[in-house]
Amino acid sequence: MDLFAKLINDISRLWTKYYSFYLGGIWSTLKLAVIATVIGVLIGLVCGILNTIPCGRNDNIFKRAVLKIIRFIVRAYVEIFRGTPMVLQAVFIFYGLPYFSNGAVAFRGNSGMWLAAVLVVSINTGAYMAESVRGGIISVDPGQTEGAMAIGMTHFQTMTNVILPQAFRNIIPQIGNNFIINIKDTSVMFIIGFTEFFAFHQYIVGVNNMYFPSAAIEMVGYLTMTLVASFLLRALEKLLDGSDNYELVSEDQLVMAAGTYSHPDRGTPFDEHHKPSRETVIQQVKFGRNRGER
Amino acid sequence: MADTILEIRHLSKSFGSHEVLRDIDFTVQEGDVTAIIGASGSGKSTLLRCVNLLETPTSGEILFHGRDVTGRGVNAPEYRSHVGMVFQSFNLFNNKTVLENCMVGQIKVLKRSKAEAKETALRYLQQVGMAPYINAKPRQISGGQKQRVAIARALAMGPEVLLFDEPTSALDPEMVGEVLSVMRDLAAQGMTMLVVTHEMAFARDVSTQVVYMSEGVICEQGSPAAVLGDPQKQETRDFLARFRSN
Repeated sequence: MDLFAKLINDISRLWTKYYSFYLGGIWSTLKLAVIATVIGVLIGLVCGILNTIPCGRNDNIFKRAVLKIIRFIVRAYVEIFRGTPMVLQAVFIFYGLPYFSNGAVAFRGNSGMWLAAVLVVSINTGAYMAESVRGGIISVDPGQTEGAMAIGMTHFQTMTNVILPQAFRNIIPQIGNNFIINIKDTSVMFIIGFTEFFAFHQYIVGVNNMYFPSAAIEMVGYLTMTLVASFLLRALEKLLDGSDNYELVSEDQLVMAAGTYSHPDRGTPFDEHHKPSRETVIQQVKFGRNRGER
Repeated sequence: MADTILEIRHLSKSFGSHEVLRDIDFTVQEGDVTAIIGASGSGKSTLLRCVNLLETPTSGEILFHGRDVTGRGVNAPEYRSHVGMVFQSFNLFNNKTVLENCMVGQIKVLKRSKAEAKETALRYLQQVGMAPYINAKPRQISGGQKQRVAIARALAMGPEVLLFDEPTSALDPEMVGEVLSVMRDLAAQGMTMLVVTHEMAFARDVSTQVVYMSEGVICEQGSPAAVLGDPQKQETRDFLARFRSN
């Protein structure tokens, strides 16, 4: 027990002295992880769309050649950035670009460092997400594509209105994975001098040798960040799934509809939750939602 | 003399070395209800999918108002917006509500305003009896209801011809009736329809021409009375006899 008391004592001493460093580190880590994950997902979506453009025998040679080249580039990008360590990619880009361009392109100062860090983590995440998005698109029932094409939608319209919203819902767990990995793995950005949560740990223990207490703070800090992240992502999944219930519309909509547009998803203060739906909610709160209900 | 909407000429389709359709020829006039019947695997669905260019024909022509749509320079999405299709497996957009399903095509493809799209969607949803369910997601309604929404979705695009690919085959027996009655109404209103079906009663009562297909070729075609009542070929007789005995 004495040891625990000592640990808690050490931790509180460290915290009171350095809490601004720790909190600042958490802030940088979160900022980098969020920005890089969002950009990475966008890169992944673009790669996923490019990879699934249909190409039939009826298309001309030019289109087929362009598609072949695009697919080769995407494939090379995915394989290279998935297959090399992020810490090396950071060094390669941060020091490589100035070296190669004789200093014409360089990451100078704090903003330059941020730019390099965001760049490296984003394209790394993008490489992983490209494959997840491809999987997400393939997993959507081909009938959805046919249904969209049958009413005259182009490939792009089909993708943005029908396929990607469903694929996106399916890949949220993957996005969560990547976000959590990014929260932890951004620590390798110390190699280019980026000071995030883990870099401050190194700095602080360099001053006072309190390795274990500081590591304990780091552990709790990282776990808190990742737990909050998973909770938020679960909430997002629930939100996208929408309500399990729907209201029947009994009055004649056409009488009012001419020339007006009401938002079907936005309720009015006059809505009343009728008894059956209230009862369902109570049941769900009591017993949880049943698997296979849908 | 009614306008000729579709003219299928010498249409063939192979998957690899397997020839699914061979030299198909028929014409659809405005207001025609064409029932395509035949055993499973005889190429009925492939024919319908070729008409909508979901499958690319290997050879032959499909003339839409006299213009060939199988060539290279053809804008397939534009053509499809004039030709509605109803699938066996409904293919409603799972991420959208019933109302949104019927609006999205009008807004994105026909560039209608939201208000106009909603009004049109509601009119057709009312026609198929699905107006109360506009806020439901496809997963929350039954198969027959889904198929009626799919029909409303196709109608909302204002198609010149509607293709039905076995619209009742995936439904429970008690739901077949509601979908067929919607289709009967459409036929009565003069909608041009091309229906792949196993419902012989529908083919007999509603259609204006019947096409019997067997192993990728049209075996017999003509008025329902002729093909169903007095078939000329032994194959057709055998096929119909199998249906009666069931």
